[in-house]
Amino acid sequence: MPPVSGPGGRMLTIGAGSAYANDRLEPAAAMADSGRVSYMGFDCLAERTMALAHVRRRRDPAAGQDERIADLVPLLAGYLSAGRKVVGNFGAANPDAAGEDFAKNLHAAGLRGVRIGVIRGDDVRDLVRDLDCELPELGTTVRALGDTLVSANAYIGAEPVVEALRQDAQIVLGGRLADPSLFVGPICHELGWALDDWDRVAHATLVGHLLECGVHSTGGNFEDPPYRVVPDPWNLGFPLAEVQDGSVVVTKLDGTGGAVDERTMKTQLYYEIHDPSAYLTPDVTADFSTVAIEDLGGDRVRLSGARGRERPSHLKVLVGVDQGWKATGEMSYGGPGCVERARRAEEIVRRRLERYAGEIDDIRFDLQGMNSVFGDRLQGGYPTEVRLRMAARTKDGDVARAAVHEMELLYFGPAGGGGAVGSVVPALGVTPAYVPRELVRLDVEVVTA
Amino acid sequence: MKLRELAYSRSGDKGEVSNICVFAYDPADYDRLSERLTADAVREHFGDLVKGPVTRYEIPTAHGLNFVLERALDGGVSMTLRVDPHGKAFQNLILDIDL
Repeated sequence: MPPVSGPGGRMLTIGAGSAYANDRLEPAAAMADSGRVSYMGFDCLAERTMALAHVRRRRDPAAGQDERIADLVPLLAGYLSAGRKVVGNFGAANPDAAGEDFAKNLHAAGLRGVRIGVIRGDDVRDLVRDLDCELPELGTTVRALGDTLVSANAYIGAEPVVEALRQDAQIVLGGRLADPSLFVGPICHELGWALDDWDRVAHATLVGHLLECGVHSTGGNFEDPPYRVVPDPWNLGFPLAEVQDGSVVVTKLDGTGGAVDERTMKTQLYYEIHDPSAYLTPDVTADFSTVAIEDLGGDRVRLSGARGRERPSHLKVLVGVDQGWKATGEMSYGGPGCVERARRAEEIVRRRLERYAGEIDDIRFDLQGMNSVFGDRLQGGYPTEVRLRMAARTKDGDVARAAVHEMELLYFGPAGGGGAVGSVVPALGVTPAYVPRELVRLDVEVVTA
Repeated sequence: MKLRELAYSRSGDKGEVSNICVFAYDPADYDRLSERLTADAVREHFGDLVKGPVTRYEIPTAHGLNFVLERALDGGVSMTLRVDPHGKAFQNLILDIDL
């Protein structure tokens, strides 16, 4: 479905399909079935997702890709057979496996001949080792990480997406494709915008930024009753955008809950942006500081006025670091003296764990209901109940399990502890690095499934 | 008066940097916001939750302010042992500031 002619020239309608690796599938199915969009962009990755995916691939060479493809493809069958297109970072740590998953599940759904574009090259583990890149947040360099380096993926832009679309791919997937670039690629390809036309690329990036977080644009992560409420927040839909040269209208599907209004747009427009006049992506240095927002009513908002400057010379890389294990355990205390008993419980666990002092890298205790979220910044009255939470990090899995066990043993004192839960999960850190973009070699392969 | 009476907000994370954008419900309150809701006021309100500098960006077209809080996430989303690793709740802490 090519762009249609709108009142202000050619118009492309594009929708969101996912905002992270565990996002709901129903809103994606609703978007596909709506018949309103010719492209859907699926953001499947948050900062830690890539490192977790690399851990899965290390255990199983056929793993490391998005785990929803088998469930998703049947929901998109009608959409795809109508010739409409999908762009996503489904590849995570294993783009080829994601391509194979799509092919296999397309066949199972009775679809043959779909062109799948696979983008490779965002995995830059060798490059960051060779360059011994600086890790500014850790105050060290890559070499110091040794074997604990789990992953290093460069945020890559719209260029390979456009290349795959030129080669008639109907599904385009890669690893760490930057979130807005999933939308910048299709918009620039369909509307014929050059990737060094900075104002237009910034406009396309604005659209991508407003869509890539899914329900964040339609009333998700927004409510604060009674000050801010949206209709039917249990039925939020994903946003879609009608994109034209110089302006975009963001809206949502009829029959979904939530809201697209001036407020939901503003909170998303400046979400996870630092200097609003210099939002850095692989595609552009975007200036959103003077974007005009016009609430048209009826869950439609028009935005315009994004400006762009040349894209950054370096690509951001997220380096995943194996930090061993994270242990957490919780126990509740209620009624008179609950705070004192929880503090006593903390003392007991701390004393019991003294034998592991050299192996526990970090440990903290919080009283949920009192100070766990904001420390001592907000002071309330004496609570009716508190929940003691321990969190610890250690390289030794046995120590992690012992720490959780000590929290469970609080059933035997000080007194009255209830509802123990605990978990031990891999502790994976991610930290940024930067590499010259010309050193990151990307490869696009389009195959017919 | 608490900021919550005048404004709404959202916080996000990148590494160990938190950003919190704040918008006046009524554009007429924007001047008051930009006068009173300084980077120092936010720094003081967040206290030892934030170890680095706080920078404020003004967005007059949106009647909003964007605060960038460095070293605010205890080593970063993936490193911290905090209950709220992303600082999702920071959007609510800022609204408790007394203007």
